[in-house]
Amino acid sequence: MAVIEVQGLTKAYGDILANDHLTFSIERGEIFGYLGPNGAGKSTTIRQLMGFQSPTEGTATIFGHDVRDDAALREAKSRIGFLPGEPAYTPGVTGSEFLEYQAALKGDERRDELLELFTPPLDRQIREYSTGNRQMLGIVQAFMHDPDLLVMDEPTSGLDPLKQEAFHGFLRDERDRGTTIFFSSHILGEVRRVCDRVGIIRDGKLAAVEDVDELLARGGKQVRVHTETPLAEAEFDVDGVVGFASEGREARFTFTGDYNDLFAALADHRIVDIEIDEPPIEEIFMHFYGGEADA
Amino acid sequence: MLETTRYEARQRVRGTLALAVLLGVFALLVIYLFPTIAESSADIDAFIESLPESFREGFGAETYTTIEGFVAAELYQTVWVLLLGLYMAYAAGGSLADDIESGRLYLVLATPVARKRVGFETFLALCLPIVVLNLTMPLVVFGGTIAIDYPLDPYYLLVVHALSIPYLLVCSGIGMVLSVVLDRGDTAQRSAIAIVFLLFLLDSVTLGTDVEWLGAISPTRYLDPTEVLLHETINLVDSLLLFVVATVLVLLSLVYFQHRDL
Repeated sequence: MAVIEVQGLTKAYGDILANDHLTFSIERGEIFGYLGPNGAGKSTTIRQLMGFQSPTEGTATIFGHDVRDDAALREAKSRIGFLPGEPAYTPGVTGSEFLEYQAALKGDERRDELLELFTPPLDRQIREYSTGNRQMLGIVQAFMHDPDLLVMDEPTSGLDPLKQEAFHGFLRDERDRGTTIFFSSHILGEVRRVCDRVGIIRDGKLAAVEDVDELLARGGKQVRVHTETPLAEAEFDVDGVVGFASEGREARFTFTGDYNDLFAALADHRIVDIEIDEPPIEEIFMHFYGGEADA
Repeated sequence: MLETTRYEARQRVRGTLALAVLLGVFALLVIYLFPTIAESSADIDAFIESLPESFREGFGAETYTTIEGFVAAELYQTVWVLLLGLYMAYAAGGSLADDIESGRLYLVLATPVARKRVGFETFLALCLPIVVLNLTMPLVVFGGTIAIDYPLDPYYLLVVHALSIPYLLVCSGIGMVLSVVLDRGDTAQRSAIAIVFLLFLLDSVTLGTDVEWLGAISPTRYLDPTEVLLHETINLVDSLLLFVVATVLVLLSLVYFQHRDL
């Protein structure tokens, strides 16, 4: 049984459909990235999953519990860790006091272990915290009761690059322990580094749900080749060459075909330099987003 | 049990203590003035008698020549009924609305705790100022009146405080309803103050007029410190009514809170 099962989930604010008949499911032990530009409806989905807002139509289940049923969802919540986007706290309490309160509500078996990795200044009042420290405090509270499912809204926003890296590593370890992770992001690179699958949402509609590895494989390779004599597109007739562009003796294109054909064609030329690389994930996502990628 | 109440009440300790000190000092000042007024040759009661009825009734001013009448009017009708009532409405107005507006509530409601419970426990935390002030104030007032050698009857003093609790709960209930209905903390706070103040005015200005019944919707009509302290009459029915209204207001706000989008 899927950990999260979203079935035709729809949320209307007046005339605006923030979520438009979304359907997807998330299996146990996978990291699912929920990707979309700002304002696409990511947070709206998360708020409905957590029972903060009721769906206009459709529903979702978490561990088999319907999110529209408060009592049932509450049972599931002891197994869920949640991190809202830009987590907010009572400014006058210290980090420790806040964690004590959270511990009383849901438990804290893993608090000490987490505080070795994420280090908000616990003795200070939260009003003095930087964005990064607020985020770290939020991460600690999300994981401290050792939940089976994590629901997080842009979890790395505000973290410095080192902490982001630590967080990504931590997420992978958690996944390997069997934890299911659902998080939203608008940072494509992050999704590529940690996610097993992605759901792409745009204007409230689900544009695609894809396996990240397959997506990258389908995206082909980016080739940049520097030849002794200029390479013309007309004479370079190989299946799978997309977006050929040349400037002087340097040519660039995306290649999605058979590598042997490519090398056979290149054998007719003297090559000065060549680079074959994965395309930036932005380009792969571009056609889902339509137009500009948001990162 | 009561984790949220404890957490929220802790945020109210400082404000409550400050209020206790402030009100205590004010009470002592008022009491300290009394001997001068009681022993002055001017006929203050004749002056009070000449004031418009709505003013007299609104501030419970009947006589300033007895300590009971003086304390009831100068301290209880004004500071306790009006000022503290406004304070409780304000505090309650901000309670949940601030947490909703800032998004703080998400971290609480993500845990396996019922919304209604969080709402109720947040309301319970508002009882901290009500309880603390109703414990410290009678001590200060009684001590003060002994010091000036015009002791109040401690029994009726305690009764005034006991009867003010349901009244303050109603004011908090009004704030609570606005706190869950309105989306912004400061709007809820200001509206709560405005409503309690308007109700107080409505009660005062309609007294002795043809539309006196209109003031019956004001909670201030059901609490009369002058009646208790000066005339030693206790109206338990009115207090019970206030208590029922407070309960209904809190229940309504909890039901609404349970079902609204956050």
